[in-house]
Amino acid sequence: MPSSPGAPSPEELEARIAELRTAVRRAMAAGDRQAARAHRAELRAAEGAWDEAVLGDTALGDTALGDTALGEPAPDETADDAPSGERPAPPPPPRAAVPRGLVPVRERVHQALTLIGAPAAPKLIASVYAAFLPGQLPAARLTSLRRDEERSFRSAPYARPYYLCAALTADLLAPARGLLTVSTWPLEQRISGPLSARTDFLTAAIRIAEHAERRPDSPDVQRLLWRFAANIPGAATGAVGTVEPGALIAAARAELDVHAETDRRQRRRAADRARAQLDDAGRLFGARLRAMRSATGTTDGEDDR
Amino acid sequence: MSTLTSLAQLQAVASGVAQPLATVRHCHLAEAPLVMVPLKLAGEAAAPLAVMLGSDPGSPTLLVVPQPRNRDQRFAFAADLARVALKYIESSRGQVEELPPGKEGEERIRYSDAPQLLVPNRGGVAFLRMLGRSTRFRRTDGPYAVEPSVPVLGRWLTWFTDRYDHPGSCLLLTMTETLRLHWATGQSALEDGNLAALVGWIDPPEGLTGPQAAALAEDPLATPPAGPTTDPGFDNEVLAPAVAAYDAARGPARDRAEERVRAVLETQLAPTWELMWRAVGLLRGLPEGASVPQRWERDRDSFTYFHQTFGEAYPQARRDSPVRAAKRLHDMERAQDAYDAQRAFDDPLVMAEHRLNGLAFGGEVTGCDPTRKDESGKRPKLRPHVWVRTGDPVRLDPGTTVCSAANPKIKGTVVEIGPDGAVLVELTGGMGRKLTPEPGTVPQVGDRVVFTSLTLGSFGPSRFPDKENTPWTHGGPPADYEPTDDDAAEDWS
Amino acid sequence: MSMTAPDLDRLRGVAAPRNHDARTIAALTANPGCARRGVMDAAGVDKDAVARHLGFGVPFGQSQFAITRGNTFEAQVKADGCAELLTLLRDRLGLEVPEVAYDDLGAVGDNEGREVRHARTRKLVQRALETGEGTLFDHPLLRLDIAGRPAYLEPDVIAFQLGGRFHIVEIKSFAVIDGQAEADQVAAAARQSAVYVLALRRLVAELGHDPVEKVAHEVFLVCPENFSNRPTATPVDIRPQLAVLERQLARLTRVDTIVAQLPEEITFDLGEALEEAVRTVEARYAPECMSSCEMAFFCRAEARACGATGALGRSVRDDLGGVDSVETALALAEGVLEPSEDLAETAEQLRLAARLRREALAGVA
Repeated sequence: MPSSPGAPSPEELEARIAELRTAVRRAMAAGDRQAARAHRAELRAAEGAWDEAVLGDTALGDTALGDTALGEPAPDETADDAPSGERPAPPPPPRAAVPRGLVPVRERVHQALTLIGAPAAPKLIASVYAAFLPGQLPAARLTSLRRDEERSFRSAPYARPYYLCAALTADLLAPARGLLTVSTWPLEQRISGPLSARTDFLTAAIRIAEHAERRPDSPDVQRLLWRFAANIPGAATGAVGTVEPGALIAAARAELDVHAETDRRQRRRAADRARAQLDDAGRLFGARLRAMRSATGTTDGEDDR
Repeated sequence: MSTLTSLAQLQAVASGVAQPLATVRHCHLAEAPLVMVPLKLAGEAAAPLAVMLGSDPGSPTLLVVPQPRNRDQRFAFAADLARVALKYIESSRGQVEELPPGKEGEERIRYSDAPQLLVPNRGGVAFLRMLGRSTRFRRTDGPYAVEPSVPVLGRWLTWFTDRYDHPGSCLLLTMTETLRLHWATGQSALEDGNLAALVGWIDPPEGLTGPQAAALAEDPLATPPAGPTTDPGFDNEVLAPAVAAYDAARGPARDRAEERVRAVLETQLAPTWELMWRAVGLLRGLPEGASVPQRWERDRDSFTYFHQTFGEAYPQARRDSPVRAAKRLHDMERAQDAYDAQRAFDDPLVMAEHRLNGLAFGGEVTGCDPTRKDESGKRPKLRPHVWVRTGDPVRLDPGTTVCSAANPKIKGTVVEIGPDGAVLVELTGGMGRKLTPEPGTVPQVGDRVVFTSLTLGSFGPSRFPDKENTPWTHGGPPADYEPTDDDAAEDWS
Repeated sequence: MSMTAPDLDRLRGVAAPRNHDARTIAALTANPGCARRGVMDAAGVDKDAVARHLGFGVPFGQSQFAITRGNTFEAQVKADGCAELLTLLRDRLGLEVPEVAYDDLGAVGDNEGREVRHARTRKLVQRALETGEGTLFDHPLLRLDIAGRPAYLEPDVIAFQLGGRFHIVEIKSFAVIDGQAEADQVAAAARQSAVYVLALRRLVAELGHDPVEKVAHEVFLVCPENFSNRPTATPVDIRPQLAVLERQLARLTRVDTIVAQLPEEITFDLGEALEEAVRTVEARYAPECMSSCEMAFFCRAEARACGATGALGRSVRDDLGGVDSVETALALAEGVLEPSEDLAETAEQLRLAARLRREALAGVA
């Protein structure tokens, strides 16, 4: 709605805001999403006009939005697991420009992944970055990264020194959900078998603890180490919330020894298959399986009853 | 439930307005109760969102947590709430009454008044319980320090919610339950849980019937829920954008964004605030039951004791010790019996329940021998006979002790029950010490009387072992409870 | 047993059958005596759409705060290869250190099709039964026959295998405080878990193994402890819920007797005849329906319009000795209606109650 020449009074705007709020909720309750969206837009405009009328400036302050990385779950992050039914439309995610002069996101992810040394989820990547590297790395911004990288690789293969790519599932060599790796790693390291989630966790624990030993302690680092120590037998030796990196490394190594052999064998076998079956893009970004649907569907039908 | 209340509900359906279940008010109502309408964040155990509270209908205090996931803001909220609530508690003591010294000669006092909290519904109590549980162990020094008032508030809230479980206590009341004790509506118990719908049935606005008012109350857009959970539509469409804007704002814009969060929460709270005071007015319209002051005295005792010992006591334990738990259960059973009986003696409409069940009977006195004596023993005793004609289904065996509903001191025994509904009662006490009854004690022919087998003084308190003698079946004597660092450092995230 | 699916398809009309999940299947166990609900559920009718069409939509929405909280907690427990979950299972159930295998069945590669996912779930369950391989199976896609029609269960659980025996682990974000959680929420979680246990048992039986031995009746609820985000596990015996569920599902397959008595042309298509069609199948409304059935507001209005005592609650109806109508009950109470023999006692009770109320309210003892 374009603003009318005779600007409405704050009281009129308040009445209008109340009216529009009701309209939005009525529309949502009736399942009419389209109407709800339209009213919602008008509502935001009216709220903006109220701010302007009452407070006399248009901007909502300096919208600094770099800090959605931790604590606050970003809407897109949980979208994968969202229940299929009613899901209220999240408020439009605030889009802030990357602060100028900083390292681009993919470079920052690369730094964090190099430090971790194993396939990792956006959340861990963000925490590691926050603990050891300058600035922030919002986890929410990592979700579309892999797709961008794949597009870039397919249009100009190996044009970049490295790509941020997928971990491959050991059985189907398909992209594993929610894990990022670096293209320059050995293929074995980028495979994810049944035990790999655990061995990668332990590997990351060791590498991060080693890194922490070489640096001054900080609350962020302690918090990060605690996440590992609390979930590795024998790693939490001191008071709750405090971690001695050496003890964490020893405990993680001890458990890693239990799984490493089997995990390595499964990964090697899968990597061999990947080398034999997949082209370059497939090896980096995973096999596409949509064609399999019908095939598996039939076997399913046969042994069904 | 009983046929009597069910019938009242049917009458409410037929007449389109709630029907009385009581002729007197069975609860104490403070001159200035502290009305509290709390809201919490959906999906969280004890994340306060807002509370509207106060003792003056015209000037409520509104406390808000602009970002309910922020731990520091939660504790700031708890500190603000403590300021208002503790001030109210301290100002509710009245005078100090000196009581006769106790058995061991110790001094005993009682405050002449006590605080009273009113919340809309049971959810409100549950929320205060959680808020109490999450704040009473907090430390006021060290790494997770909170304001000193926060754990104090936690202990008081825990005490209030404990007393809420005590039958007949009026220190913390829910408005829906209190109204339901006095009125029957033409809707189900589930629907009565909606305060606006309940009040709509009892006191429909001009031009509306009870059901019409209740229907209006069920629309969350017309009538916001009384909490502590907010309407999901409000959460998604109004609150979430306001909180997000607050998160995003910096500088002066942040104050403005906070103001908006306050404003939208106020729209959800103000209607319930009004309703609470309307309901208080409805209850005030009923005369107070005769035994209400007596029960309030027990509440004042409890308040006095808790207030007096506050300084030297620890926060209440997470769980009761076995002996304490058994004693508490026993106390509650006794309180329930006493409360049920007192209400019946206070209120003929409640006594009617017992007449329906045959534990009481009422009717006209058709015959009377006020000076009859039993001369079988060494000394003659005054034993007047009274014949009562009743249409009630008497289910009392001959020999049962009964008393007069109007004056429970007058006791007697059922002698025989005639086939035509005539009951012969032999009076045994409450008529004075002479061989002729005090005037006005023995009913006369033509009087209407009710006798019942209910008694006011139920069984006495049982004895429980000291904590040191907890039987091994109950784990033996428990270790003394002292709050630990873990208690204090517990996350509230 | 006759296959009722064709009749039921006709009842549903042109709409596609609604998808079930554990919540909707668990809801089937409420109010088993209601024919309307039984028929509509068996036919897979979208009751929400029907109720909206009739002007009685139920705003059953969920707050995004609650949804976010649930998703965040689940993500946290499952993060880093289920690190927190493994710690819990190790501490509480003595899970051995080597048992850490994790299989995500939420998608097969980039394929999220249900048939493919179900086939893979089946394969891995079979392998686990035969070789003991695998420990945590996330998002297993199970199937359960509802009124002769297979329904896929959108899974939000982890199946966990130890020593050849499966356990269901359900992650819920309601808090367990000092060892206690809200009873309603635990009960709802137990009902949903029972659906998964049943579906997993059916699958195990199909694969030729003993379902009772291979799938535990004890499920693990993983919830935040006290006011923290720290997870804690509580074992819950779901045998009672399982028994109710099995009985109710068996009953659903027998709705054909009800369907057989319905007029030929009846359909729940969203058209002008919808209301009449819905009314043709008898409902048994009770206030509890409000929390579990999308048709509740419609049925309540219907019950109130015809003055049904059941609308006031089951206990009221019981107090009235089963008299269904408000009008009849009041007429009996006022003595203007001569009771039939079977109602004589109820009528006397009502007349007495009416007299006692009158006396008490008139201030006459």
